[in-house]
Formats: sequence, structure tokens, C-alpha cells
Amino acid sequence: MIRNPRKEALVAYLLIAPFVAIYGLIFIYPTAQLFHLSFTDAPLIGPGDFLGTDNYGRLPGDRRFNTALWNTAYFVALTVIPGAMIALAISLGVSRLSGRLQALVLALFFLPYILPVSVVYRLWDWTLNFQFGIAMHAFDLVGIDRVPIFKVTGWFMPAVAFVTIWWTAGFSILLFLAGLRAIPREIYEAASLDNASRWRTFRKVTWPLLWPVTSLVLTIQLILQLKIFDQVYLFSDGGRPNDNLVMVYYIFQRAFERDQGGRAAAAAVVLFLIVIVVSVLNFQLMRLSGSRNK
Amino acid sequence: MFKNGIIAKTALVAVALMTTSAQAQETVVWWDFLAGGDGVRMKQMISDFNAAHEGQISIDATTLEWGVPFYAKVQTSVAVGEAPDIMTYHASRIPLAVKQGLLQEITPADWKKMGLSKDDYADATWNAVTIDDKQYAVPIDTHPIVLYYNKDVLGEAGLLTEDGTPKGMGSREDFTAMLQALKETGAVKFPLGSVTADGNFMFRTIYSLMGQQDGELMTDGEFLAGDNKKKLENALATLAEWTNEGLQSTYTDYPATVALFTTGDAAMMINGVWEVPTMVDLHKEGKLFEWGAVELPVIFDHPATYADSHAFAIPANKGKEMSAEKRDAVLEVMSWISKNSLFWATAGHIPAYGPVTASDAYKTMEPNATYSSLTENMIFDPKTPLAGIAGPIFDVMSTYFVPTLNGEMEPAKAVDEIQYELNDMQ
Repeated sequence: MIRNPRKEALVAYLLIAPFVAIYGLIFIYPTAQLFHLSFTDAPLIGPGDFLGTDNYGRLPGDRRFNTALWNTAYFVALTVIPGAMIALAISLGVSRLSGRLQALVLALFFLPYILPVSVVYRLWDWTLNFQFGIAMHAFDLVGIDRVPIFKVTGWFMPAVAFVTIWWTAGFSILLFLAGLRAIPREIYEAASLDNASRWRTFRKVTWPLLWPVTSLVLTIQLILQLKIFDQVYLFSDGGRPNDNLVMVYYIFQRAFERDQGGRAAAAAVVLFLIVIVVSVLNFQLMRLSGSRNK
Repeated sequence: MFKNGIIAKTALVAVALMTTSAQAQETVVWWDFLAGGDGVRMKQMISDFNAAHEGQISIDATTLEWGVPFYAKVQTSVAVGEAPDIMTYHASRIPLAVKQGLLQEITPADWKKMGLSKDDYADATWNAVTIDDKQYAVPIDTHPIVLYYNKDVLGEAGLLTEDGTPKGMGSREDFTAMLQALKETGAVKFPLGSVTADGNFMFRTIYSLMGQQDGELMTDGEFLAGDNKKKLENALATLAEWTNEGLQSTYTDYPATVALFTTGDAAMMINGVWEVPTMVDLHKEGKLFEWGAVELPVIFDHPATYADSHAFAIPANKGKEMSAEKRDAVLEVMSWISKNSLFWATAGHIPAYGPVTASDAYKTMEPNATYSSLTENMIFDPKTPLAGIAGPIFDVMSTYFVPTLNGEMEPAKAVDEIQYELNDMQ
């Protein structure tokens, strides 16, 4: 059959056209609008006057923006690598089990992941509430002073990070388990024939062969945690919101509480760029260290 | 041709049917944020209204999430012309709403049509819905905070006057002494249950104490100018003292505070009048001690209580003119509910419509009648787009109130920080 490349190309374009149109409409166009908005003094709804780079110029001097930036970085440091390590440890443990027991244990670890964030908030508030939390009664029994965990700045981020890891580890565990199962049994058999210690087997077999999964988990977590909002918003309800700000919370405050669409857009653009730069850097770093491992 | 003819005829009949039914009955689309005990009472009033206007006006009501979600939805829906015909609104949010062009003015002609006027409302309430001599909402109620107290505990400690209200309401020393006396009885965990974990809420108490010294949050566009700063510090210092002396609950959030009071762990509680139905219902079921509610104590120079007002507003839908018939129906809704707001008082709120609170029926309602005296001492939020329920001022205050009220930060330092951040917002 004689192929007509031009006709084929036309068909191809036609076939991808609906996708491109929708992608353009719901992603490219709003993003372009966001950039445009960030140079204006627009309120939440409606257009504004062109300001140049004023909105960006005001960001470094804005105390709340600095709090938000610092808290976001702190939160990422508290969750991404520790969370991935915990998930890896759990999945190594789970992978040693077999049959129904494994399914049961895996289900138990995965269960928190299916909860909506509002339920997670309720559960932990119920546990750690200063006056009525069940953990506080346990503290009383042991004789430790009660701690108002979500109302004290020093405790807030670590506590939210802990809850976040508890909540989201299930997904990382699944990825790690899939990765572990993909490592051929024979390699482990060979290692045990060579009398390799368990640690050595992990260092020389499991870790390098699992690396693609590890880097995937880290990248997913990094992007996810840079965009942290829900938990912080819920847990700081009534507490000390302006001390607990993270980037998305700051954007939310500017846009929805203060009616400053332009300034919110400028902060959103900054977050957008941070996510892009950090994830590209992360990806390159993973690739480099991955090739060294080979 | 034949086929088209039928379609045309059917369409004609349909249009005719629609117009006749529209003439017969206006449907008024209604949004509110009343989800608590007061929401139940409002639904009752809506169904009473519908029954009284059978065949003429029918309210189609939806209840949405209180606070930022409600107000964000109003903004977006007005922008695309999808807002309701009538909605509830906090008076404290009106300055921002007017700046954003969200509300239609309630014109003098409208007031006349409704049969309502300025004279029917307390000055502070009327003022709260007025911007530049124009009204943008019809007040339904004012909802101040009051002091709830456990009559059994106070009575046993000999702290009740003859008419059953707490002694020690006249000065800071008296009130603190009363708290001390309650602490010494050992009958309760906390003399005073305070929402110390929620600075948003404490704004109401602290602003009241500022008002008792004639302090103002905003003067000529500047926050905490002159000695207003000192007055805020005084207010904070009073509350911080109660914490340091172990007289009030620490790090307690809203539901926990209500629980502390209703279980008898706290002898008194400062909270909104909207908790009155909670107490009434619990008491009716025999699950609550004898209780009462009175105007806040005078800690400083004279009585003053922070209040906000629920009001009805008409959204300024973009690109969608409201028909005259529809507007008349909306006005009738506002007028009817205002005039029948005696039932609304069972939700604890003080009806804004004067003739209702002046009625004999209202004067026998308890504890409403006891605390309604505070209507003369009400202060509302400063008139700035930054003020209002769930607004930016609340966030700033909360951030510094919580550490101060729980003994982590000195009041003077907190006030410095608050002043810096408030002025930084503009």
C-alpha cells in the first residue's frame, strides 16, 4: 500500500487537535493570564492597571512572604527525604512478609492514604487537642506536661510534617514495593551464595536497583510538598495563621482574603518558577547519581 | 411547514404558560451561611414566609459554608451574574463588598416600600450597614458576645446578687476577685472558660475591652495611633493576667470552651449569643445546670461590647438586570422577616428591628431580655475593607493573641508586632 505522509500528518494533527485545544484552554491560556495578572494591580475578580514589576519588587520586603518561603523550605526538608526513608524501611519490612499477612499489613499502612484531608485533620485534632485530646490524657498518666502542639510555632511544622508523612507514606510504600518486586530473585541468591551480609546486599543490590523508584518517589514528594496547603490551613485554624504561612497559604490570603489578585499572581509565579527549577535540578541530580551507581 | 407550525405553536403555548406562572409566583433565590442552631430557626422562618405568600413568592434557599468560602463564592458568582437574589451578609464585611461593587444599594424608595426606616434600628446598627450615607443591607440582628455563668456554682460560692446575676461586674479588681474566689472553692477546673486557642474569636473580647477605654483600632486610616496602642495593651494585659493566675483555660479552642462550660468544668464563659439555643436545649433535656447570660463586665471605664450584625443584601449581579417584580419580591422577603424576627431571637441574636425588641413578648424572653441592655453599648468593626469576619485583621490579631493569652509573649511586644503588621497590610 502506498502511504501518503502528508495525509497521515493531517490525520495525526486532527487526532491530537482536541487534546491540544483543551490543554491550551485549561492550562496554557490561564498560565499566560497568570503571568499577565502578576504585572497588574487587579483585584480577585476583574482586570487591573499595569504596574510593571512592582508586585515582584514588594515580595522580598514582605515579612509574611518571607515567613511563607522559609516555612515551605522547612516543611520540604522535614517531609521529602525523611518520608521517603520511612516508606522505604516499611516496604522492606512488608516485602519480607508473604501471603495474606503481607496483604493485611500493606492494607494497614495504605489505609491513611485514602482518607480525605479533612478527616486526617479531625483525627489528629481529636488526638492532640490540648484540652480533650486522647494523647494528652496519656501525657497526664505518664506525668509529662501537656503540649499545645498546633498552637506553638516551634511544634507546628514538625507536627504537620509528621501527620503528612503518616498520611501519604502509603503511596510511596506501594511504589517501593513494586520496585522491590522487580528485582530478580536470582541476584539475591547469588549474593547469598557469595556469603554477602544483609547490609552489603542492601547496599550493593537493593539500593542501586531500586534507585529509579527512589528518585521517582523523591521527585513526586518534592513537588507535592512544595505545594503544601490543606493541612497547614486546617491545623492553623484559629491558632497563629501568620506564623504558619506557607507559599500557597500566602497566595490564598492575598487573593481571597485581601482581594489582591495581582500580588497573589506574582507570588504564584514565584512558586511556579521554584517548582520548575527545583524539580529540574532534582531530576538532573538523580540522573547523575543514578549513572554513577551503575 | 406543517411540522414547523406545530413546533411554533407548542413554543408559543410554553412561553405563555411560563409567563403566566411567573406572574403568579416569583421565586426568590436565597443564600445564607447559617448552619448552626440559628440555621434551623431560619429555615422555619423561610417556610413560614412561603406559607404566608402561597402563590405569590417562594423562597428557594441554600445554606453554604460560613466564612471565607461563602464570601469567595459570592465574589465569583456576582462577577459572572450567577449570584442569588438575596443573601445574608455580615455588616463587618460591607466595606470590602462595597469596594468590590458586590452589593446593590438599598435606596430610600426601597426602605419606604419595605415599611422600614432608620428609626427602627439602633444607631450603631444602622451605621454598620451605611457607607457614604448609602445603605447596602437590611440588618436582621446584632449578635454580640455575653458572659455565660453557672448559677449553681456561683450561688454556692455566694457570688450571686439577689436577682441572680454575678456580683463583681463593675471593675477589673472586682471581676478578678470573683474569679479568684471561684478558683478557691475548688468546685471547677477553670473559673473562666476562654477560647484562648483561637485569636480570631478572642478579637471580640479584646476589642470590647478596648472599647471600654474608648480605644479605636483605626483612626484616619492609621492603625493603633496614639494611645490606642496602650489601650490594646491594657486589654491584653488583663487577659494575660487571668491566664498567669490560673483563672482561665489555656489553649482552648472553640468547641472545647463550650464543652468546658456545659460540663461544669468552667464556671463562666465569654461567648456569642448564638450559643443560647445550645444552653436552652441542653437545659430542657435536663442535662444542664441553672445558667444565665449577662452583658460583659465593665473592666475599664464604661460598658462596651463588640457586636456584628447579620443583614440581608442584594447582590449586584453583573450583566443581569433584576426585574422590578423580582426586586419587589426580595424587598417583601426582607421586610417580612424583619417584622417577624421575634422568633429569630430564640436563636440568641438580638433582633435589629426595634419594634420587636420593644414588644412585651420579647421583654419576657430570657436570658435575651437580660442582656439586650447592651444594645446601647455596642461597638462594631472599624470601617475598612481589611476588617470583618474571616478577614485579614482577624489573622494578624490571632497570630499574636494566642501566644499572649497563653503566657508565651509579653503584651507590649505583641502590640508592637500587631501594629507593624496591620500598618504593613495597607
